[in-house]
Amino acid sequence: MWAVFELQWVRLKRNPFLVLSFLGLTFVFVFLLAGSQADQKMTVHTFTDQLSEPQMAEWLDLLNDSDTLTFQQSDREDVVDLIEAGRISFGLHVDEEQFHYLVGHQSHYQIAVDQHVQRVFQETLRIRQVAEQTGITDIQGRVEEALEQPLMSIDVDALKGDASQADAERFHVVIGMTLYFAIYTILITISSIIIQKRDGTWNRLILSPVKKTKIYLGHLFYCFLIGFLQIVVSFALFHYLLGYDFGDQFGAIVLVLIVYVFSIVALGMFLMGLIQSPQQLDAVNPIVATGMAMLGGAFWPIDLISNQMMIALSRVMPIFHGMEGLKGAILFDQGITELLQPLSILLLMGVLFMGIGINLMERDTKI
Amino acid sequence: MLEVEGLKKKFKTNVAVNEVNLYLDKGESVGLLGPNGAGKSTTISMISTLIKPTAGKVRYQGKNILKDPNSIRPILGVVPQEIALYELLSAYENVKFFGKIYGLKGKQLEQKIDQVLELVGLQDRKKDLVKTYSGGMKRRINIAVALLHEPEILIMDEPTVGIDPQSRSYILDMVRKLNQEKGMTVLYTSHYMEEVERLCDRVYIMDHGQIIASGTKEELKSILSSEETVLIEVDQTSSAMLDALNELTAIQQVTEAPKGYKLIVSKGANVLADVFSLAETMDIKITSAHVEVPTLEDVFLHLTGRKLRD
Ligand SMILES: Nc1ncnc2c1ncn2[C@@H]1O[C@H](COP(=O)(O)OP(=O)(O)OP(=O)(O)O)[C@@H](O)[C@H]1O
Ligand SMILES: [Mg+2]
Repeated sequence: MWAVFELQWVRLKRNPFLVLSFLGLTFVFVFLLAGSQADQKMTVHTFTDQLSEPQMAEWLDLLNDSDTLTFQQSDREDVVDLIEAGRISFGLHVDEEQFHYLVGHQSHYQIAVDQHVQRVFQETLRIRQVAEQTGITDIQGRVEEALEQPLMSIDVDALKGDASQADAERFHVVIGMTLYFAIYTILITISSIIIQKRDGTWNRLILSPVKKTKIYLGHLFYCFLIGFLQIVVSFALFHYLLGYDFGDQFGAIVLVLIVYVFSIVALGMFLMGLIQSPQQLDAVNPIVATGMAMLGGAFWPIDLISNQMMIALSRVMPIFHGMEGLKGAILFDQGITELLQPLSILLLMGVLFMGIGINLMERDTKI
Repeated sequence: MLEVEGLKKKFKTNVAVNEVNLYLDKGESVGLLGPNGAGKSTTISMISTLIKPTAGKVRYQGKNILKDPNSIRPILGVVPQEIALYELLSAYENVKFFGKIYGLKGKQLEQKIDQVLELVGLQDRKKDLVKTYSGGMKRRINIAVALLHEPEILIMDEPTVGIDPQSRSYILDMVRKLNQEKGMTVLYTSHYMEEVERLCDRVYIMDHGQIIASGTKEELKSILSSEETVLIEVDQTSSAMLDALNELTAIQQVTEAPKGYKLIVSKGANVLADVFSLAETMDIKITSAHVEVPTLEDVFLHLTGRKLRD
């Protein structure tokens, strides 16, 4: 078995291009998708006619307490220029106790911006009013202090813990893309069995004293490791290069990955059993990988879909359970016991696919 | 040592091999001869336990190998018709890998690798990737891989297809040496008559999935012993001569040949005297005449009415 296993690495070393390119693609896609989402934090050009520097800075500070908006100080002339050039649709004009917009053309962003700005203004002005009436200058600080040490607190936990929406989206892309491209790598790696069956080297293996189960194990273990490593390496790169925080549930993440990769390897065996000619592989691999990733919700959250059939379909895709497991561990800090459901479903799928797959593969050659 | 009995393989409706019986004795070199699609490869695959027969038995030392394939696999060396090598690996790495899975290790493995690479004459190119090899070199490595574990029985499926005459001659000499010096039993499949004539003691002729003749080369040729082929060359051919030759009762068949005629005659009939006197009366000079010894090609032609290769 180890000779067979070792051989696969030598072959990979001679032709690493394909596997490396899938790792590369994972990055490209995450950059494109996650990158563009990060850019959606909108910049609002803000200027003033009357306020002093520190006053303006205070307003900007208050306004910038937002996940989605950035308020950036500008001059009136600059804003007018930008609007005239069509680069921005509006600018925010802030003065003592009032604000308004300099509008080039209507934009739906303006509504969102306006809501935010109104809220900030109302709150701040109310606090100032109270401060004037009571003579307490540091109302803001006191309110915050009081909130930090509340007499009575009401915890409002979101159903699934504490991940912010933006975090969830960022990770959805990273996890989805990584798992998606891992399917590719695994299917392509496993198709080497079919190719060897065609070129006759498989027969040579069969004729050797090495048991057939060990020949399969050598190949499958290699496929498993390649898939696993690809995911681990890509997560590691996301962590160290792009600062993604994968949380503390290291054991749970690894375990989910193990059963996920196992289920995909098994799925690969099943597919190889169905197809018998290597020519079909080139068509089947992308269809299966992409189809599964779409249906399984790797590209967009399955929560967005309301069609019952689509939802049911997503549940039979290993990638769906892989994503659930990883999101649970990474975003919601769930441990192994809390992830038993996706773990056991993936394991079950793996065992089923593997069993059927091997039987299909050997249906002609049973001897 | 190895017996095949009533072997049959059906692919859906196509009967590729039908009721084949054959045997191999220890140390023999046996040819399996037949045109494209005769069922040679299918027969060999069944003997080497790679595909399951529809019916029939293969016995090695009295034991049915279909029940226990592992009783024969380790002593078989199979050279497949298609090159079965890892193209991205060097010759050395290919041979080494297949040696390893046969349980060879360390010094012994290195020694064996040296030996077979020497034998197939590829020592100097052993570090090159197989994909950079010529057809003939690939063929030779294809054989080397099957020899590493010193099999008792070497089964070769058209090992010389599509290569230059030198490589071919090299391979044939090599197989002959293995058979005669190492006592390896050889089952050699081919549709080249000359190869089988040169290499094999006994021959099976196969066509349409069936063995249509078998025996030693001499036995097979004696199928043709009731007839002889006489080739004559003349200084000028004429249709009158052709007609006159056809008139002679001792001659069964006359066909035109380059610069003369090909005569099929009953064995023992002394036609040459008649032919010479006929030529003299027609004022034609016979420049050469000789009696041909039949080849296996003729045997095949006789048995099937077709040429072995078209
Ligand atoms: N896997 C298969 N499925 C269906 N038919 C097959 C299969 N393998 C062989 N055959 C058919 O069986 C017949 C015999 O094929 P085989 O390969 O044994 O011939 P062969 O004597 O080796 O010919 P060649 O000299 O061309 O190698 C052919 O008609 C072929 O089409
Ligand atoms: Mg053949």
